[in-house]
Amino acid sequence: MTTPLRDQSLGSEWTILELLARGIVDDPEREMVRDLLLADSLDWGELLEQALRHHMVPMLAHHIVSAGLRFDLPMSIYQHLESALEWNRWQIEVFRREAVHVAQGLAGRGIHFVVTKGMAFESTLYGGLGTRHMKDIDFMIAPRDREAVLSVMQKLGFRPFFDWAKDPRREEISSRLNPDHLPKLARAVDEPGTRTIMIDVANSLTWTKSPFDVPVEEALKDTVEQPVPGMPGVGLPCFRPMYQFLFTVLHLFREAWLQKFVDFGNDVSLMKFADVIRLIDRNRDALSDGELLRTMEVHNVIHAVAWVLGQLDETFPTHTLQMLALEKHGDEALLASQMQSSGYVRASGQSMRERLQSKVRGSSRPVAPAHSDSHDE
Amino acid sequence: MDDITTRFDQCLRRHLRLLKPGSIDDTVGLVQLGLDSMTAVALLMDMEKTFDIRFPDEMIVEDTFRTAGALKNAVRLLLERKAS
Repeated sequence: MTTPLRDQSLGSEWTILELLARGIVDDPEREMVRDLLLADSLDWGELLEQALRHHMVPMLAHHIVSAGLRFDLPMSIYQHLESALEWNRWQIEVFRREAVHVAQGLAGRGIHFVVTKGMAFESTLYGGLGTRHMKDIDFMIAPRDREAVLSVMQKLGFRPFFDWAKDPRREEISSRLNPDHLPKLARAVDEPGTRTIMIDVANSLTWTKSPFDVPVEEALKDTVEQPVPGMPGVGLPCFRPMYQFLFTVLHLFREAWLQKFVDFGNDVSLMKFADVIRLIDRNRDALSDGELLRTMEVHNVIHAVAWVLGQLDETFPTHTLQMLALEKHGDEALLASQMQSSGYVRASGQSMRERLQSKVRGSSRPVAPAHSDSHDE
Repeated sequence: MDDITTRFDQCLRRHLRLLKPGSIDDTVGLVQLGLDSMTAVALLMDMEKTFDIRFPDEMIVEDTFRTAGALKNAVRLLLERKAS
């Protein structure tokens, strides 16, 4: 997992972000990042823009602050990053309180659920340092509980909210036609720096009409309680590591493979890969004991998972395919036939690494050739 | 050809790449003509704009898009509701 990055051909700014995303593993790497940050040639505009695009400003800020670079960086940049980190920490605290409040409401109605993504990862994979960006709070429920959850959420003051999207009507229609999520829910709050809390409730580990799936009910059967930092005795239910891994990887697959996520500005980011790397690092034994392999085979998700890990290994580079004994899987042609569409990334001729760095995504990127009967969602 | 067919067909053709020239068979499944989840959203929005209607929540379901005929009926129904 911890092999040094291959090269710095995409620029020192990108190298810094890749190292932070993967996780700095030793002093030579720490020194390398320090040297890159202090070099006269560093383009701060580029670094900050890419950090924003990849939701890594708090992570970058934390690294700079903890490395003691206060007097070595342009003061205005340092102060801005320090503020951004503090604001992110505050926002996470607000989100934690809200997540607990919602969790109590759902549990009170006997609804089985877990928190996912940022709320599940921040205090575990990222050490509770306030470095994981969060824009909303994510929950996962079973499809049968959609109406009950909506009812609870409305009692808690949440309402379906579409104005966050560039085209609210498009989002509203899309949400109705793709019932893998509830409509995004929002509640106005009176917190400094946070006016609205948005909650995303998913009821599928994949997406509507996905050719493969891991049943939510199965994943919700055996959850784990995760302590909430700063709230002694309070916990939030999360998937156990295997299902957390499957959901995270399949979610990344969805964003990486399906054109619509690119078009809607939800293309993959370094942060999503950072989550996967940390999940594997933290749960290496649990993910290597054979149960994961069996579960992936049973649910026919092995190629999608292996494809994501293949992209990960090529990009950073890591050795996750080998670690999880998936080297023989992830064939893109096979996956394309399973998905009834060509692989977007390969069709565009870009590597994942180039795609991640590229600021020109969506309509200007070549679209995968359509099959006559393609309807892969 | 009734009053909405021309505009309806034009609207369909803007989104369904597999539609052949000529009249549109109302019974053919739209999925077979290239409808997927993205084009369904775009098609519905275009219908709303073209006919100045709004699909209510209960009509934003797969059955509404099953065939060209089903969708045309839905548009007609909304136009009638609007007129009354």
